[in-house]
This record gives sequence, C-alpha cells and structure tokens, in this order.
Amino acid sequence: MKLYRPATILVGLLFVLLGGVTRLAGPDHVYGEDQNLKVVHGTIGEALQYAGSGSTVKVTRIKFARTIVSADASDDDKPFETNGVFVAVEWDAVRGVKDPDSFNPTLITDGGSVYEKVSDPSESRIAFPDAGFASTGVVVFEANPADLKGLTLRLKPSMLFNVYNSEIRVDLGVPTEAIAQQMVDGAVDQYVLNDDVTRVAS
Amino acid sequence: MESLDEVIDAMIADRVIHRHRRIWLLLIALIVAAALVILATGGWKEKKGRTVPTLEAPATVTAGRFEYNFTKAEIVRKPKTEYSEAETTLKVYFTAKNIDSEEQTSESVSNDLLVFVPGGGEDLVDSNGGDCKGGLNWVLVYGLPPEECSTKFKVAPDFAADMVEIGVLGEHFKADNGSLGLSEKPYWQGETPTAVVRLKPTVVVDDGKDE
Repeated sequence: MKLYRPATILVGLLFVLLGGVTRLAGPDHVYGEDQNLKVVHGTIGEALQYAGSGSTVKVTRIKFARTIVSADASDDDKPFETNGVFVAVEWDAVRGVKDPDSFNPTLITDGGSVYEKVSDPSESRIAFPDAGFASTGVVVFEANPADLKGLTLRLKPSMLFNVYNSEIRVDLGVPTEAIAQQMVDGAVDQYVLNDDVTRVAS
Repeated sequence: MESLDEVIDAMIADRVIHRHRRIWLLLIALIVAAALVILATGGWKEKKGRTVPTLEAPATVTAGRFEYNFTKAEIVRKPKTEYSEAETTLKVYFTAKNIDSEEQTSESVSNDLLVFVPGGGEDLVDSNGGDCKGGLNWVLVYGLPPEECSTKFKVAPDFAADMVEIGVLGEHFKADNGSLGLSEKPYWQGETPTAVVRLKPTVVVDDGKDE
C-alpha cells in the first residue's frame, strides 16, 4: 500500500485551494478593498444605472425633517423624534429585465459618518419592483447635523463573490457646512412617509 | 514493473498499518464512546468564576460600540386571560450612545449584546434587542446624544427576584488573522463580556388596560 497515492495528493491540493477560496467568498471583512466596484456618480434628478442590470435609480428630492410619521399610523402612534435630523430621500426606481442585486442604502459624508436607514417605520425603504414596473418611494436616515457636509447616498450591492460590480453614489447637494446648517434650520416639523407607489415602466 | 525494493516497502507498510489494527480500532471506539458520554452528561463546560466587574445600577458601562447607562428594571406580569397564558418578561431600561469612532456608522443594539444572567449555572438569556423611541432595533447614530432605550428578556411566568443581573457584552474592533487567508482590515466582531450590572426590579402588572 502506497502512502502517497494520487488521490491523497489531490485532497491535499484541494485544501490549499479551499484556503484561497475563502479570500473570494464573503462579506466586507473577508474581501477587504473594493477594487472590483465601479462607482457610478450622479446628482439629484439623474437616473443612474444600477450594476449593469438595466435598472435605474433616481433621487427625485431630499427633505430634512425633525420628526417622521408613517402615513397609516394609528392615533396611538407617536411620531418618531430625533436629537439629530431626519433626511428623507425620495427615489424613483425603474426595474430592468435582470433581477438587480440586493443592496443596503447608506448616507456617507466627508466627515466619515455612515448613516443607516431608520428601522421604523417600515415605509422607509428602497427596493426595485418587478420587471417592467417602476416605483417611487422614500428612504429615511437619521443623521448628525454636525456632520452633513458632502452628504451622498450610497447604494452598494451586497455581493457574495468578488465579481465585477458597480455601486451608485448620488451627491445630495450639501457642499459646505453653511449649506448643511441652512438645510437643518429649514427642516420641516414633520415628514409623512407614504408606501412605495408602483407603476408600469413606460 | 515494480522493483523488488518497492514490493518489500509495500509489504512492510502493509504490516505496520495492520499490526496494531485491533488496538487502534478499540482506541477510536473508546474516544467515540467518551464523546457520547460527555455529550449525554451536559457537554464540556468549564466552570469559572466571574471575570468581569459587577456594578450596581445606576451604572455606566462602555462596551464595544456603545456606552450604556442602566437605570431601572421591571418585572412585567401579564395575567392569564381567557385567550392567553400568563406571561412574565423582564424589562430593563437604559440609555445607549453610539461611540463607534472607528467606523462612525449607525448601528442598533443587537439582541446578543445584553444578556440576563439567571445565576445558579443556568444558561444566559438573550434580550430582544434595543428598543429605542418605540422602534425595535432602532439604529443609533454616531455623534448624537444618548437615547432612552429598553430591552426585554423572556423569563418563566412565576419569575420573581429581588435583584437581577444583566450581562453587557462588547465587540472589539480588530482584524482577522491574515495568515488564515482572511483580510486584515479590522471590523467590529467577537463580543466578550464586559461587565455585569445589578438592578433591583419593580413588579408591574400589564393587564392590557391603559392607565
């Protein structure tokens, strides 16, 4: 009986290869730098291609608010308040034929903050409708008024493998601290969140 | 055609492998049996004393991405009704502040960061997550002042205690081991116990009626 049969060597090689595969698979902390992400930059009102899937996303308007409330809240539901400021990003998404990768919307700033969308109310979301349809909706973020300069909406696809992909970055038009302060001062008292509205893509 | 040397080598290898076959088989069987016995008797649990500080409420604890200030605890009793069984939950109130200066990312207090320590060798009870402003798992924004939050633990319907202990776990901002083929970019991971907070709970009856 030989100790080093071809099968034994193959199994050994397989383990070595598996070690390499762990580098490809997995979330941020496994695959470190985002070298395989093409960044699609845009501004408010511009329809931006999402990850080559034929789908587009457009930010139609942003609103700053002190409180938010769901449109179908009952009488008992209090509006959500904040010590910071709410940023409501109204979007319009047109779905292509190919199912777009799922993504997690965040707001990023020059100061390095990353704002996640609020967990409540559930109307705050951004998602693509079925193929052939388009929808409009709103996604709300709670933000720190002291760090709003360079506010940018970031839609980064959550990938399992490091295939070549693209992410969307929409400049929300807050180039300086002074403008940020002005927008915070002009924040509306209450922003009412409506559900997404879906229509046939024309 | 194999050479004589190879044939002899193969024969020797054959002998060596088969010589103590019975002993090997017995040994493996013993290890398997031992593993089964350990599993059946409740696993391999090392009993250790508490290695983190125990604090009396109100207490401020800095753990991982958050700074907590524990204020009070309530044992909420829901009496048995025609339609539902009696239920008891342990509700703990605290303020939480996002102090994640590494990533400056909004984050919610996830359910495994706060645990109820029943004591007496019983298993820890996970919370249901940080409930702030009426929104469960509300994401706390870095740089904003602390938020009033609460969290709930499931306990037995007849649960009663003069004092409850809540364990606080904190994550660490560190990288994985690069020699294992992982990226050396650090991230928040690997929560470890940071402190235990003792609170004196008050009993509250929730009969579904508004006060």
